Amino acid sequence: MFFHIVLERNMQLHPRFFGRNLRENIVSKLMKDVEGTCSGRHGFVVAITGIENIGKGLIRDGTGFVTFPVKYQCVVFRPFKGEILEAVVTMVNKMGFFAEAGPVQIFVSNHLIPDDMEFQTGDMPNYTTSDGSVKIQKDSEVRLKIIGTRVDATEIFCIGTIKDDFLGVINDPANA
Amino acid sequence: MSIEPFNRLVKLAARAFYDDITTKGDNQPKTGRSDNRGIAVVVLDALTRRQWVREEDLAKELKLHSKQLRRTLRFFEEEKLVTRDHRKETAKAAKMHNAAVANTTDGHRTKEGDDKIKMHTHSYCCLDYAQIYDVVRYRLHRMRKKLKDELEDKNTVQEYICPNCGRRYNALDALRLMSLVDEYFHCENCDGELVAESDKLAAQEGGDGDDNARRRRREKLKDMLQKMEVQLKPLMAQLSRVKDLPVPEFGSLQEWQIHAGAAGRAANGDSSSNDPSRSSQGYGATPMPFLGETKVEVSFSGVEGKEDLKSETASTGLKVLPPWMIKQGMNLTKEQRGEVKQGSKMDDSFAAAESSDDKKISIGNDDKIKDEYVKAYYAALLQKQREAEESAKKQQELLQTSISNGFSKSSSDRQVGMKSKREEDDEPDDDVEWEEAPIGGNTSEGFKVNDLNAEAPASGEDDDDDIDWEEG
Ligand SMILES: [Zn+2]
Repeated sequence: MFFHIVLERNMQLHPRFFGRNLRENIVSKLMKDVEGTCSGRHGFVVAITGIENIGKGLIRDGTGFVTFPVKYQCVVFRPFKGEILEAVVTMVNKMGFFAEAGPVQIFVSNHLIPDDMEFQTGDMPNYTTSDGSVKIQKDSEVRLKIIGTRVDATEIFCIGTIKDDFLGVINDPANA
Repeated sequence: MSIEPFNRLVKLAARAFYDDITTKGDNQPKTGRSDNRGIAVVVLDALTRRQWVREEDLAKELKLHSKQLRRTLRFFEEEKLVTRDHRKETAKAAKMHNAAVANTTDGHRTKEGDDKIKMHTHSYCCLDYAQIYDVVRYRLHRMRKKLKDELEDKNTVQEYICPNCGRRYNALDALRLMSLVDEYFHCENCDGELVAESDKLAAQEGGDGDDNARRRRREKLKDMLQKMEVQLKPLMAQLSRVKDLPVPEFGSLQEWQIHAGAAGRAANGDSSSNDPSRSSQGYGATPMPFLGETKVEVSFSGVEGKEDLKSETASTGLKVLPPWMIKQGMNLTKEQRGEVKQGSKMDDSFAAAESSDDKKISIGNDDKIKDEYVKAYYAALLQKQREAEESAKKQQELLQTSISNGFSKSSSDRQVGMKSKREEDDEPDDDVEWEEAPIGGNTSEGFKVNDLNAEAPASGEDDDDDIDWEEG
């Protein structure tokens, strides 16, 4: 799920960035530092959308670095148990398949793949129905439901299922 | 538009899902005395016999503390079974609701007293049948789905076990367990090939106890699912029975009051004739909004000043009479039967005469409806009679005095009304009709016949359920 939230971060800036462009420098450094990171609490920071305010800088003793408290708005993506996501399959093996929804990795184990889909080994390992009409392989797009998340301080990993109504392949590149 | 199947649905749902609900204040000690399990069912049952009802009145009738009732109702509001409405009311607005009561006891005095009452916030509540139907279905769906999902391991996290060292992993570790060499998961410890826990090997290799527990759990789930299907069968049957019926709709409180008021004025006889048993159930008896009632509304909003007030108090009194009101008429019956006959006759003509403001409507009522109304009226009377017998003598005496006051007052009103009605009445056989009906219901045998009709749907309701409520 996406959220638009306000976060705060202390930015340490080298004295060489001080000057007319101080503000721009802070913002661009913030974007570089923050976008694409993941915190267990808020999820993945997708994009910074605005700066709320930049507080007074504090000079560090001995180094000349200055710390600015920055409040910024950003879009974060945080997967939840029970959420339905659309994801791209990245790898298929006997144990199930891995897929990605943006920055999130999801594993769907073989017992959460519908029973009528069988694993086919080979060049392009895949799960296929007996009549061959539905196939899950690398780069297939699937709709899945998250049934578990592992949230670490810097990482979120999910497991999902496609064994439910309206879940499964939504776009097969092989057929396209 | 029958409400009975829906009421049955409510009763079944109440017993299935809300039987052991307790609504307690946080500060109340959890002693046996404060245990109010079952109240929820009582309240729901009571609501099936009413439409919009003021919560204070309901509390009084159920002999519950209003706080306790409110807590229960709030719970049902959250459960989406009941709609509530709160509003600040002047004395006049409040009167609209209890005008019926006030009118029969001692109308004019109460009216004046009422005017001095300040604005009060009153809460009303009503069953929301359409929503109840959906809520119950959704609840069943969720129950079934949850059990089935668990049974089919749909939402369980797959576990893996290393046959070499016995170390366990689950699907959330998948990323770490991937091997670059082959397509299996490998143990972090010993690089052994992991197997899914439900596989046979795992069961042999030490997952034995766990597997047993798992099997037992599955058995239990299956059992639960089966029990649910069996025990909730009557409820499901009722749901499907109700499926294609039009849902009773009372509208918002305001809409309902307008319609109920109009119905009371113009179609009094009609409404109670639909179902005698319901006429004895007070507000529950007013059927769904009528068509063609617009005329009445317009004529009333058009009238102003004193006349308006008068007609309003009088006509609201003619709303279908709640049981406790008719009681007084009953006392009279016991004492002076002949008078009652007259009284009730007057009441009828009163009904017609009252609406002589809107003559067209009263004349529009056909004789059959009037006839039916009279029957229903007597059925209700008899029911009240029994209740009256139980009430203490003292109360009776008190009531009688107040009645005789109100009666004499109102009867003079009625005489006037009757005259005007006769003058304006175009139907020659109308008088005959009025005369006939009371005679039919005069003897006690006549009462009993009507009574059977009246009683069956009302009190027989709970007994004919062949359901074991205890187990549900
Ligand atoms: Zn191992």
